Amino acid sequence: MRPFNPQFMLDVIPNLLPFLWVTLTVVLGTVFFGSLLGFVLAQAKLSQKPRYRWLVDGYIYIIRCTPSIVLLFIVFYGLPKFCLEVFDTDINRYDKIFFVIVTFTLLFSAPISEVMRSAYEATDHGQYEAAVSIGLTPWQAFYHIVLPQATVVALPNFGNSVIELMKEGALAYTIGLIDLIGKGQLIISQNYGAYALETYLSLSFIYLLLTLGVEKSFLCLEHALSRQKKVV
Amino acid sequence: MDINYQFLIKTFYLVLTAVPTTLNITAVSLLIAMPLAFYLAVVRMRPGKYIRPLISAYITFVRGTPIFLQILIIYSILPSFLNSTAKYFALEVNVFDWNPIIYAYIVFSLNTTALLCEVFRSALGSINKGQLEAALCAGMTTAQAYRHIIIPQALVVAMPNICNLTVKLIKGTSLAFLMTVKDMTAVAKIAASYGYNYIEAYMDVFVGYIIVCSVVQVLFDFAEKHVGKFRLIKQK
Repeated sequence: MRPFNPQFMLDVIPNLLPFLWVTLTVVLGTVFFGSLLGFVLAQAKLSQKPRYRWLVDGYIYIIRCTPSIVLLFIVFYGLPKFCLEVFDTDINRYDKIFFVIVTFTLLFSAPISEVMRSAYEATDHGQYEAAVSIGLTPWQAFYHIVLPQATVVALPNFGNSVIELMKEGALAYTIGLIDLIGKGQLIISQNYGAYALETYLSLSFIYLLLTLGVEKSFLCLEHALSRQKKVV
Repeated sequence: MDINYQFLIKTFYLVLTAVPTTLNITAVSLLIAMPLAFYLAVVRMRPGKYIRPLISAYITFVRGTPIFLQILIIYSILPSFLNSTAKYFALEVNVFDWNPIIYAYIVFSLNTTALLCEVFRSALGSINKGQLEAALCAGMTTAQAYRHIIIPQALVVAMPNICNLTVKLIKGTSLAFLMTVKDMTAVAKIAASYGYNYIEAYMDVFVGYIIVCSVVQVLFDFAEKHVGKFRLIKQK
């Protein structure tokens, strides 16, 4: 057995770090689009019409049962065919990051819609009614009164979902995206399969720092936002 | 869209034949992880100087890194490690002939242990300490108190989380193909690679996982009702 080489673990990090941006782009893009889609889903779930609620419930159930790697491949192979057939546009040549973000948006929106819905339901409905009764429009009441309170409630779960997403995002390399993991695999194959363990350990160290960083920043954000909150 | 329906149906049956492998990995990992996780959770709740930070570090590592990397780390270290150990003790075994499913058991048990430990810890934390004290007062030993008083109550609290964890574990086993285990995903992948019918194959796997997860969730619903039977006041 080849001896373990701790020095390589440090040496490989400067080669990996430039690709941190790809991973972060995937996460940030997914959080942005996934939150938008999640917002729409949460609204549909809160609507009066049962048929929308069933639709959203079904969607959330299916996403809950689907491994990300399966959805990733379905989107990667299926979406170009689908677009060619229906919209007559060729997206085969699109960058792979596009397919990754589409997949993870679908995956991320389901739990996030539940987070948003429960946060909205956790804020007292009287707050909204009071705001409307003093003359705010429904949108103003939502934006100025309900949203700031719901955000504080949603933050811990939102942070957990982002961490979950970041870990799932490690699979993006399986369709050929060169992110942190993809670069790691390239380095391993450049070394003819040697130093695999060292590279993987460096990668997991980077991921560990990332998840701890996300966790900490969400905690700080929560503190900053809940400062005005007074417990009666 | 030109979908090869014949291939779709044929592969679906093929994928179904691999369902036992997926369930096998899930069940064995859960069975190994449960006692370990329970022990760690109990140890973690007791005061202690050296063991607690170690358990915390282990849990942080498992929760902070993708399972994908955990699989690759274990799979790149364990076979050669076992092989050199076997050589060191001059054992006549060839580690590389073993079924790779063993490594899947190890990886997923290690992963599940850490996650289950958190579930058990929160469940045990929800039980009033007075329950344990009352049981000890009534003359039970600590083991009896846990067996008859604490665990039945904690299990009711932990059940929904265990269900979530099991579904996650089933989804996680789709990565077992990295260790050349022939689970549902791997079987479909191999079938698809002959004729580049990837969409059909992955559709089959998609449906397969939904069926498996649904069955498991229904079973957990029954189990939840069963372990909660002693409750006099039904919640909700």
